[in-house]
Amino acid sequence: MSEAAGSTGLHTEDMTLNVGPQHPSTHGVLRFVVKTDGEVINEAIPDVGYLHRSIEKIGEKCTWHGYVPYTDRADYLAAMFANQGFCMAAERLGGVEVPPRGEYCRVIACELNRVASHLIAVGTFGQDIGAITPFLHALRERESINDLMEEICGARLTYNYLRIGGVGYDIKPETCARIAAFLDHFEPIVDEYNRLLSNNKIFIERLADVAVISKEDALQYNLVGPNLRASGVQWDIRRDIPYSVYPELDFEVPVGRGERGTQGDSYDRYYVRIRELLESCRILRQCLDKMPEGPAVAKVARKFKPPAGETYVRIEAPRGDMGYYVVSDGSEYPYRVRIRTGSFTAMSIIDKISPGIMVADLIALIASLDVDAPEIDR
Amino acid sequence: MEFTVQDLIQALLPGAIPAPVGYPLAAILVAFAVLSAFVAPLAGVTSWLERRVWARMQSRVGPNRVGPQGILQWLADGVKNIQKEDIIPASADRKLFLLAPYIVFAGFIGAFVVIPFGSWLIPADLNIGILYLLAITSLAVVGILMAGWSSNNKWSLLGGMRSAAQIVSYEIPAGLSVLTVIFLSGTLSMQGIIQAQGWAPQDWFIFYNPFTLVAFFMFFTSALAEGNRTPFDIPEAESELVAGYVTEYSGMRFLFFFFAEWGNLYVIGAITTTLFLGGWQIPATIFGVTMAEHPLAKGVLEFTVFFVKSYLWVLVAMWIRGTLPRVRVDQLMAMCWKYMVPIAFVCLFGTIVLLVIWPDGNPALSLATLGFTTLVLVYFMWRVVYQIMHSRPELYLKPYV
Amino acid sequence: MSEVITYFQNIKDTVSSIFEGMSITFSHFVRKPSTVQYPDRIAQQVQDTLPLRYRGILEVDMDICTGCLACERVCPINCIAIGIERNAETNQRDFTLFDIDICKCMYCGLCMEACPTGSIRHTQEFEGACNNPAGLVRHFVTENVPLYKPKKGGETETRMIQKVDIGKRYMDEIAEPES
Repeated sequence: MSEAAGSTGLHTEDMTLNVGPQHPSTHGVLRFVVKTDGEVINEAIPDVGYLHRSIEKIGEKCTWHGYVPYTDRADYLAAMFANQGFCMAAERLGGVEVPPRGEYCRVIACELNRVASHLIAVGTFGQDIGAITPFLHALRERESINDLMEEICGARLTYNYLRIGGVGYDIKPETCARIAAFLDHFEPIVDEYNRLLSNNKIFIERLADVAVISKEDALQYNLVGPNLRASGVQWDIRRDIPYSVYPELDFEVPVGRGERGTQGDSYDRYYVRIRELLESCRILRQCLDKMPEGPAVAKVARKFKPPAGETYVRIEAPRGDMGYYVVSDGSEYPYRVRIRTGSFTAMSIIDKISPGIMVADLIALIASLDVDAPEIDR
Repeated sequence: MEFTVQDLIQALLPGAIPAPVGYPLAAILVAFAVLSAFVAPLAGVTSWLERRVWARMQSRVGPNRVGPQGILQWLADGVKNIQKEDIIPASADRKLFLLAPYIVFAGFIGAFVVIPFGSWLIPADLNIGILYLLAITSLAVVGILMAGWSSNNKWSLLGGMRSAAQIVSYEIPAGLSVLTVIFLSGTLSMQGIIQAQGWAPQDWFIFYNPFTLVAFFMFFTSALAEGNRTPFDIPEAESELVAGYVTEYSGMRFLFFFFAEWGNLYVIGAITTTLFLGGWQIPATIFGVTMAEHPLAKGVLEFTVFFVKSYLWVLVAMWIRGTLPRVRVDQLMAMCWKYMVPIAFVCLFGTIVLLVIWPDGNPALSLATLGFTTLVLVYFMWRVVYQIMHSRPELYLKPYV
Repeated sequence: MSEVITYFQNIKDTVSSIFEGMSITFSHFVRKPSTVQYPDRIAQQVQDTLPLRYRGILEVDMDICTGCLACERVCPINCIAIGIERNAETNQRDFTLFDIDICKCMYCGLCMEACPTGSIRHTQEFEGACNNPAGLVRHFVTENVPLYKPKKGGETETRMIQKVDIGKRYMDEIAEPES
């Protein structure tokens, strides 16, 4: 415990606070050891590992097909992306070609999932700042997406929709019509959400110029996804290392513009997600229009045995660059599965940014990075 | 009909009991009756109503199972909390820890002494009524600080410290706004302030001149801050400080803090109504009936008018809580000292200047202020209609589900 | 001077944004709540509103189960246990055991995709609460039953035709390559 004599010559001490593992706004089981001088933070050290479930090790004991439902659990808010990462890795190893309709089904499901995940991110953001109504409005819209997901793949949270070689279930035309109806309903709701929360002066004051991450820091600390884009780096795997049918789609990559304060502040990280919601809606509309006919899944052997080799697949998940490093030894089981997630690297920058901000700002910082405890630990 | 409850007790006292013994006994009995028959249901129903109002804003239903539409939910919650174990942390300062909820509670219940529910329905019409109110409501901060310190928990301590800083600071804009009203009425007595106003909106102090309109908002905001309500609920900020100063409390002691908080909402509404909204004032004659000839009807009507006006502000406080995020502790201070205190001063001096120009007020200015407020309300309703048209939701016009 | 402008701009922004926010929350008083009052105050059982693809608790139609063990093999967590014995009297193979442990099941749907006849399938049922976890092991074989053998040229018995049709309809929901 550091000791310092203040300007008055009085003896003062730092206070050590344990934020978590059970704390209302740590988004799962997370812990921060915070040293504060009153309300001002001198040091905040993240402590991870409370939610470790050995998902990578389980991969070595499951068949290639059987591991797909486990990847759902890597990040339960964006299960579709975890599925996609692993399936793409397995397809690349086994040389499986996904039919075009399967790719479109994947993109539709993934973008719906991205909207749901970002809704959680912006909703809990409001809740952490103290506004509970926007949180429930966001979750109300997410429920509609869950209903759509239930119609597409039969599950609301752990989808297990993607298969090696395509998707498990074709999206029916009536479901496509319902997705289009949802988008028509959703876009005005985002606008309303902005008027309720994003434009609120108290909300802006809480976030603007708080916990600014510069472009250089963001790159050095390996931030990915919306957190990186908020700092002004235009980097999106969907556009820069294209996969699936993203090259055929027209969409923009929103970056932080510092419109309410400095580029890379908490407000930018929040607002980039709001703009990505609308971009995802745009992608969804294009996909619904362009949906080709044909099979949704390629023929893949039940006993899938890709030839020995290794691959690394990167996809753009809602929490940024999600990487799957998969090694095959030609057997029925993967030899090694390694998952790289965005939340884990986002945790490392908290140490660097937190000195000098207040306890309430730390909560805003964690919320703005949109870390998800199961994704940190896997 | 110029007598108070005080006189009533004295009149009803049996002759056999000497007044020095009987009077305190009767006072305790009356206090107990008022507590159990009025204050407890008031705070309880407020807690239920807040949850229902909140739920509807959030597209939910809210508690609707216990009793008709869930109105008895507070009783169920109370029974549940009484049955819970009363946990006292081993390293807590035991005496202070046990005492703190009662001090907070006393601060809130003491305010009811000077709240004028009708022209004669007031426990004690102190000649320094408003001063007493400002003093007694500040007692809560002692209890909160005590709870924060004695819990021996860092979150509680932070919550208690925040609360102390907040309540002490916001006393100033609140006091300045009250001073504006005192200048207009020339008295500190609650009844005197009400009697200085009329029953019609243009006679209320809120519409007296544009400055008092602003002073009203300054007072209401400060009162919310003193009552630890959103957007100023930083002492118990759930997402930051777990539960702030109540973190270590459980069972009934925990409930006492919230009992005081919800009850305090009504006190805020009552003070606002007294100071700015004409209190219990009703017209002298309604449909040709002179009210002075029907004391009971007059009393009931006055009570109803006062209660409705003050409960309206309870609803507004719930509504604000359902809308706004929480401010940060330094912003709270900046808002108080940089914005609210100067504005309250401007209101005070503006009112004084206008008083010098028109010592008896200017009816045209009052009507103009009233008209402006009405226009704002009309514009607000138009915005509400716009919000509904914009997102085209399914409408449901019933208040209950 | 610019500081003075910012000062009043701040006041204006605060007032107008709070005004706007409060009009939105007020408009919700006339909007329909989006929640349902599960489980008792609902117009329709939730199970009836779920889509056919919904992956609820598993059920097995033993009459059309061929005993191919595909589901047992594909299950990632081994929650399906199947026992098959040769019956000495009829000289047929009989099921002696078909248990699904609902506690372990993670509703991934791989088993029903592997099933050639659509006999194992997810129902719309999701309410599985019970006091004893042993009650969550579903036993589908109470007495030994013979394995199903698809007849050449289709079924003749009405009951069996219906059952095979239900299985086929269920399998149609799954995306399969055209070939």
